[in-house]
Amino acid sequence: MKKLLVCIKQVPDMESRFKVNTDGTWYEETDLAWRMNEYDEYAVEQAVQLKEQLGEAELTVLCIGPDRVKETIKKALAMGADRGVHMTDNESHLRDPLAIASMIADFARQQDFELIFTGMQSQDRGSAQVGVLVAELLGIPALTTLVEFAYDQGTITAKRELEGGSRALVSCSTPALVTCQLGLNRPRYPTLPNIMKAKKKELASLPVTDLKLPPAQLKTAAMAPPPKRGSARILEGDTGDVAAQLAAVIKEKM
Amino acid sequence: MTEKIRKGGDFLIAETACQDVFTPEDFSDEQRAFAETTEKFVADEIIPHLEEIENQDFSHVVAGMRTCGELGLLMMDAAEEDGGLELDKVSSMLVGEKIAGGGSFSVAFSAHTGIGTLPLIYYGTAAQKEKYLDKLITGQWCAAYCLTEPGSGSDALSAQATATLSDDGSCYLLNGTKQYITNGGFAELFTVFAKIDKEHFTCFLVEKSFAGLIVGNEEKKMGIKGSSTTQIILDNCRVPVENVLGEIGKGHKIAFNVLNIGRFKLGAGVTGAAKIALAEGIRYANERKQFGKPIAAFGAIQEKIADVTAAIYASESLVYRLAGLLDTKLATIDKGIPDYYEQYQKGIEEYAPECAISKVFCSEVLAQTVDEVVQIHGGYGFCSEYPAERFYRDERINRIFEGTNEINRLLITGMILRRAMKGELPLQSEAMKAFESLMTPSFDELDDSAPFAAEKATLQNLKTLYLVLAGAGVQKFMDKLADEQEILMAAADIAIQIFAAESAILRAEKIHHSLSAARQQQLIAAVKVFTFNATEAAATAARKAAYYIEEGDTLTMILSGVRRFTKYDATGLLAAKRTLAQAAAETEKYLF
Ligand SMILES: Cc1cc2nc3c(=O)[nH]c(=O)nc-3n(C[C@H](O)[C@H](O)[C@H](O)COP(=O)(O)OP(=O)(O)OC[C@H]3O[C@@H](n4cnc5c(N)ncnc54)[C@H](O)[C@@H]3O)c2cc1C
Repeated sequence: MKKLLVCIKQVPDMESRFKVNTDGTWYEETDLAWRMNEYDEYAVEQAVQLKEQLGEAELTVLCIGPDRVKETIKKALAMGADRGVHMTDNESHLRDPLAIASMIADFARQQDFELIFTGMQSQDRGSAQVGVLVAELLGIPALTTLVEFAYDQGTITAKRELEGGSRALVSCSTPALVTCQLGLNRPRYPTLPNIMKAKKKELASLPVTDLKLPPAQLKTAAMAPPPKRGSARILEGDTGDVAAQLAAVIKEKM
Repeated sequence: MTEKIRKGGDFLIAETACQDVFTPEDFSDEQRAFAETTEKFVADEIIPHLEEIENQDFSHVVAGMRTCGELGLLMMDAAEEDGGLELDKVSSMLVGEKIAGGGSFSVAFSAHTGIGTLPLIYYGTAAQKEKYLDKLITGQWCAAYCLTEPGSGSDALSAQATATLSDDGSCYLLNGTKQYITNGGFAELFTVFAKIDKEHFTCFLVEKSFAGLIVGNEEKKMGIKGSSTTQIILDNCRVPVENVLGEIGKGHKIAFNVLNIGRFKLGAGVTGAAKIALAEGIRYANERKQFGKPIAAFGAIQEKIADVTAAIYASESLVYRLAGLLDTKLATIDKGIPDYYEQYQKGIEEYAPECAISKVFCSEVLAQTVDEVVQIHGGYGFCSEYPAERFYRDERINRIFEGTNEINRLLITGMILRRAMKGELPLQSEAMKAFESLMTPSFDELDDSAPFAAEKATLQNLKTLYLVLAGAGVQKFMDKLADEQEILMAAADIAIQIFAAESAILRAEKIHHSLSAARQQQLIAAVKVFTFNATEAAATAARKAAYYIEEGDTLTMILSGVRRFTKYDATGLLAAKRTLAQAAAETEKYLF
């Protein structure tokens, strides 16, 4: 039976009002609502689709963080993952991408995963490094920023999104790791029966203190909201001219 | 789940410990997941079609119901052996609250899952469930409930529709007209009430395809325009005898029991609608500039936002407290027993006064909310380009259906007094004590070190006041009190404010330890604002009742009691309102 892994992160609801914490290095975590990192919803969906395609496969979902992340793991279980692994770590938000990737790689190393799915990046830290670092630590290829995915007998054929919206068709053989871009698929809503079934699925806790972590390579010195600045640009000229300028601006920003 | 099993209506007499109330902060991960799925469904599948639905393109409603079926949103109440999930009331209230964002769609949803499906779940035989339930809980069929007639609305039992056994005894022939039937235009299964031999009020399961069932035209309505409301005309409609639901002559039990749940669920739905309307109002207040400032910066606007926030907080606290009460009670019933659903109905009936309170209080909070949200929008609130206008129109029906708010107010007082007469609630003895306390001055010092001490003391006083007035009313009018509706209504108003304020205070007392300092401050502010408003409302009702019941010295004495028992030291009220308004402006939504 093939084994699949999807790695997810819990992030604050992006509609929250963020405040920088007292250290000045991260956001204040109290009073926030938490949910699954949006990119990871696409990762979970793709992993579940692959599991369904394979018929016989076991999908594990892994999440690092404090106790509250269990709720997010349960969501992935309700979407169709078979078992959950919670690496309990109250400090996860302080760790650099290499440390997080090392934890995942340590977990994944002995387990023969055919494919590992992650989101392209997290909505809060946004380093886009964790997936690639996991692949590197495991010595397997990584395909990043996927907007299309297909798997057939040990070969992945996928499209990557490039700068400016063009796409690259790529393929590689498994085992491999893929990072998922928004729009890769349509993440399913957990149905009520599946939410209830998820309650009965295995959700193991692994304390993270047992692992040897590499020394941090990155350190956040300070975090601050961007300075407020008037960013309006007045377009001038006749209507046709203004329309052309506007179109150019929109194209540039897309 | 809350621990102690309470008697319905006993909140007027007994104290409740805060650990014993269920609050939204107690939702399980699964319950939160149900809410998330529902919200996402509404945002992705309904909101994009809202305009077509408002124009009565019901294909989107029917398709939405199918999707609800796939998501399992229609199977919450059905038993597991019938393919349902048999979830607790907290879960179905939460889904009911979140579906409210779908506007008219939520009316179809609520009618289907509530009055449309519950009679079959509670009273259907195995064969009836086998035949129909799966179709309903998968959304393949929509359901409607036909009780009201042109000549009988509030007085539902005086229905004229008739059922006559056919000569060969194989079916009943139904005749009559049913009025204002939600989902009438597209339902496939109708739960119809009619009198056999003009005498035995009985419930029937009628398929749309049965010869003689005619769907009337769509009513042109003030609001919830995207819901279907039609007459259902029964013209010698042939209904097989095996489609009698429940016992012959016991239709009223079905009609009323289903309404208890409907009332309570309506409380959850309107709470959801109020949160959405408030958020719209706050966003607009932040955006709209007059006199060089966002209007959200003006005290007049801030006060509206603060009052509404506090009222919705009370509404939400009340709904989930009641859900917890019901779940605790229902969990004690053994699912294996043959009369499970009978016991279950009794369990719900226990809290029939609270269910009626939920309907009245929460629908009136929504009314206050949409009114203020239109006002915040100024002229733009009067124009249909902004959703405020639709919120305002859609709200109105909630004070009319599921029993008008007048009928429900009468029921609240009526049921409580009836229980007192039967000795189920020690109202009389407590009223005597309350009356004595009226004549003895109180020297109790308030211990302000305890959290919410002032609010809890006021709550106790309001309960005493209720007992004084209820006692005086009973003594004066005895069994003629039922004819003195103005007094019953005023008493209901006091009871409603007590239950709402108590729910708000107990929730705050239970959760405030676990909040950040900023959130605590907001919570304390909400409790202060609501307790003040509730106490003032109760004082007005109490004063009215006093004038209605008494005269002379007793009147003077009771009026001075009203003054004493409605004293609430709301020092810092203005600061509390500003705290709430500022926090609301920052988050642009309902705060709690
Ligand atoms: C949009 C819509 C959808 C509906 N959906 C359904 C449905 O699906 N199925 C269904 O069966 N019904 C449905 N109804 C009917 C609804 O339940 C009734 O309209 C409601 O019960 C009130 O009845 P009525 O309209 O006949 O008003 P009436 O009973 O005539 O009441 C008129 C007024 O008199 C007051 N009043 C009546 N009796 C008393 C009394 N004893 N003491 C004091 N005041 C009293 C009422 O409070 C009200 O203010 C719906 C109605 C509407 C408008």
